Amino acid sequence: MTLRNRLFALVSAAVALTVVLVTSTVASSARRAFAAVDAQRTAALVAQIRREFAAEGEQVIARLERIAASDAVLRTAGDVGRSKSDLSLHVGEAAPLASAQGLDFLDLVGDNGTIISSAHWPARFGYRHPWAADVKPPASAAFLQRVDLPGEVALGLLATLTVTAGDRRLLVTGGRRLDQHFLNALVLPQGTRVLLYRNLEPEVSRQQLIDASGVVPEAAPLDPLIARVRQSGQEAREDVAWPEAETVDALPLKGHDGTVLGVLLISSSRRELSALVTRIRWSGIGFGALGLAFGFGLSYVLASRVTRPVEQLAEAARAVAAGDWNAGVDVSAASSEIAALAEAFATMTGQLVDQRDRLVQAERVAAWRELARRLAHELKNPLFPLRLTLDNLRRARTLPPGEFNEVFEEGMGALATGLANLNTVVGRFSDFARMPVPEWADVSPNAVVQQTARLFQAQLEAPGQPAIVVALDLDPSAGSIRADGEQIGRALQNLLLNAIDAMPRGGQLTIRTRRSAGGILLDVADTGEGLTAEERERLFTPYYTTKQHGTGLGLAIVQAVVTDHGGKIWVDSTPARGTTFHIELPVGPTPCEKAAL
Amino acid sequence: MKRFRSAFPAFASACLAAVIVSAARPQYGGTLRIDTRANIRTLDPAASPSDVVETAASNRIAPLVFEPLVFVDPAGGLKPLLAASWESQAGGKRWRFRMRGGVRLHDGTPLEPWHVATSLRGVESTWTIAADGDAIVIDLPQPRPSLPWELTDRRHAIAVRRTPTEMIGTGPFRIDRIDAGRVWLRAHDSYWSGRPFVDIVQIEMGRSFAAQLTDLEVGRADLIELQPTDARRLTQRGLQVAASRPLDLFALVFEPHRAGSSSEPLRRSLARAFERVALCNVLLQGRAEPAETLLPAWLSGYAPAFAAPAGLPLSRSAIMRLPVDQRTLTLRVEAGDALARSIAERIAVDARESGVLVTVQVPAGLAPRPDVRLVRVGLDATSPDRALARVMAALGSRTVALATNEPAPAIGAPLDVVLRVERALLEASIVVPVAHVPELYGVGERVDEWDAQPVTATGGWNLANLWLKPPAPEARARP
Repeated sequence: MTLRNRLFALVSAAVALTVVLVTSTVASSARRAFAAVDAQRTAALVAQIRREFAAEGEQVIARLERIAASDAVLRTAGDVGRSKSDLSLHVGEAAPLASAQGLDFLDLVGDNGTIISSAHWPARFGYRHPWAADVKPPASAAFLQRVDLPGEVALGLLATLTVTAGDRRLLVTGGRRLDQHFLNALVLPQGTRVLLYRNLEPEVSRQQLIDASGVVPEAAPLDPLIARVRQSGQEAREDVAWPEAETVDALPLKGHDGTVLGVLLISSSRRELSALVTRIRWSGIGFGALGLAFGFGLSYVLASRVTRPVEQLAEAARAVAAGDWNAGVDVSAASSEIAALAEAFATMTGQLVDQRDRLVQAERVAAWRELARRLAHELKNPLFPLRLTLDNLRRARTLPPGEFNEVFEEGMGALATGLANLNTVVGRFSDFARMPVPEWADVSPNAVVQQTARLFQAQLEAPGQPAIVVALDLDPSAGSIRADGEQIGRALQNLLLNAIDAMPRGGQLTIRTRRSAGGILLDVADTGEGLTAEERERLFTPYYTTKQHGTGLGLAIVQAVVTDHGGKIWVDSTPARGTTFHIELPVGPTPCEKAAL
Repeated sequence: MKRFRSAFPAFASACLAAVIVSAARPQYGGTLRIDTRANIRTLDPAASPSDVVETAASNRIAPLVFEPLVFVDPAGGLKPLLAASWESQAGGKRWRFRMRGGVRLHDGTPLEPWHVATSLRGVESTWTIAADGDAIVIDLPQPRPSLPWELTDRRHAIAVRRTPTEMIGTGPFRIDRIDAGRVWLRAHDSYWSGRPFVDIVQIEMGRSFAAQLTDLEVGRADLIELQPTDARRLTQRGLQVAASRPLDLFALVFEPHRAGSSSEPLRRSLARAFERVALCNVLLQGRAEPAETLLPAWLSGYAPAFAAPAGLPLSRSAIMRLPVDQRTLTLRVEAGDALARSIAERIAVDARESGVLVTVQVPAGLAPRPDVRLVRVGLDATSPDRALARVMAALGSRTVALATNEPAPAIGAPLDVVLRVERALLEASIVVPVAHVPELYGVGERVDEWDAQPVTATGGWNLANLWLKPPAPEARARP
């Protein structure tokens, strides 16, 4: 990891840790504050609902008192007090009375507990009232009661009054239904809602859970809370995801006998808290992002002062390694230590350049010496016969004309041959100096190999030649490459000549083609004496040869051809076991071809 | 002075008597206002009403305009109306009706026999009807001994068509106007039995029971339809309640999937579960009669002696041992019939005490198939045989076929046959009579009459014989 990355990571971690700590602390404080406010709000709401219940109960009692004082009830009570009166005449009394007073339930019950008239279930006259005669609440108190209706059971806030007639009494019991209308009448603070579970069935039934708009759909998350309050009869509180986070306070509503008849659920939305926590979280993320940006900027500045000169030094070192001896480093913005390092680097590269120049000059002198030696050697051989011929001609002046002519003709022939040899030597040097530009075409490597091998077939089969077996191992999938077939063939000829020269006592010459990852691989292997390490090192140096009559240009020409084709050449050799030249040529157009186009 | 002293009481008595007689004397004129739930499109006797309510109302209003040849007197059987007398020939294939003299149509022209023949031909195309002097002769393809009974039907009332839309009859009132929601009838000045006292009868249609009650109480109506449950309210306010004899039968009818023999014990248990007397005396305020038979006692005469179907009902414990789906019944009542709903709910309460869970279904649209229906059947107040035949027709052939193989009694069948058929019909408790309920009407304070009720025993409106009291002096002075 670079210094800049380490700096960046360090600053970022510091900023992130700080932001997380601040965010969590603020969020925790907000939660506590909200919880306190929520508790106060819930307490106020519970108190309000208790007041509403009390007020509703007082209204029920007031309405029942008006009903009890009505003529119809007094007449009924009077008939109840008479032993032989026809109570059936009063069967329809309750409905109009309840309607006039806005009550949902009203029963007129005789002294013996028999229903005389029922507003909410008129057909039940004559039957014993299920609870009116048994309930003993204070006369001024309303109470919760389950009320049987045709086909259903309802929950009501009821009261019971007694109208006395003689020694008999008429019970007037009635009230209002606890349903969504009751909930609708409650004034609730923002973010709060009240639900009522009517505990009228043996098991928890979602049909019995209502809010101000009716049955509450999808109230499954409340089931455990309702079940807990039903069972314990105690208040409970729970955070419920429904679907947003809400805090639900559950209050048991009990009847006059202590039975839990309903559960009032006060739900406070945690939306505001969630929104605040979300805002805090996003603020933390924002500040964290700002911190990261700050860290990035800081690390960038620090990098500018420290790491960038170091990177420039490294880049310059790589450039020098790649041969760019003039690569320099601008250390104007760097610290003093880095600047000293850069100066030392510049001094080092300067000294290296001096040494290189001296080395090049020495090598150039050595090369000229080698060239002069080679030229002298190459020219000395043809010149020696010429000198002998000229001496013979000088000596032959004294011979009779016939013999002189014979010697003269023979001398002219020798001179011509020697001049031709000189011309050949000069031509070779000239060819190497002026390598032609490749003429690109689609060339089959296998075809080039086969054609070249055929050229050498006659030479190898000639009498007196060492027994050399030529083996062709050609890959049928070699296909074709973009190359100059003539130059590739000439390079291959040079390699074959070298191989044949390397096997004076015969052997096996193998020419192999293969597809390779880089294109086509062309191998020429002999079973000759092999090369020493020094020979392998200087093998492709122009004018270097190990042969008595070589010019030292053959392998240099091969390397030049391969290089012009964008390929590469290398050699494997084991002393006494042979040498293998490997040539790899690209299949497609080479950069050289593209440059030529 | 002495003579004066002795003459003064006599004079005062005479004045008082004159005042009393004057107050009780019939008054001509005024508009009698009637409310009804029905929406009547036409009073044409040949037209078919669209529903039960319109049928009932048409049966009451049409006879005020169009009269048949004969009518049914509950006390005396067949009585002549437009026909003065009749006789049959050829074993009932030919009937001769001699027309009453002095009968005039609403336009003042005398009613001729050919008018009657033309009117009857309009509804009976297979009869050969011809005028013969002051009589009409009806030749029938088959002998019909009961033809006079059939002629009491509203369809056979005599209506003379003046134009495609105008019809006149011979009744005490003529059609003055029929608008949407209201019918006006005007007194027939030349009515053969004497001009009605009131000038106009105005009938408000489509009024609910509650609206009718309010109309009567505030004086916007003089005659309204009444439910038994509201009767006491009117009597408490000093208003009169007029009632026919019980003309409606309420009965439970089990659906085919509950009509099998395996369900018979439960059916019988339900039939015994509800207390008819309490239902009639309390819920229906004593205005109905508990029904153990299809035909009411006043019509059949045998109802008090009718034995309930054999077989004991299940005990409560036995019922409770039944699977819940077997002892759960859905009882359907018509959505618009509040009285039927009240009865059904009482039956449900009583049944629950016996262990049978009855749910009252009041469908406003499509609803699940019920197990049992509470039906209301209007009885034919003519004769037991005709009434039972009509009840069986109303129950439907499928229900009757489930209950018994006995065919409906023939017209004119003796009473023992009617009894046998009814007993067979009730034997399997597939049809369970509940109550017989009369037609009730609330009568306003303005209405007065000599001796007849505004409504006859058979439910007919006796409007021709009632009059409207003159307004009180202070009311008269009020602008």
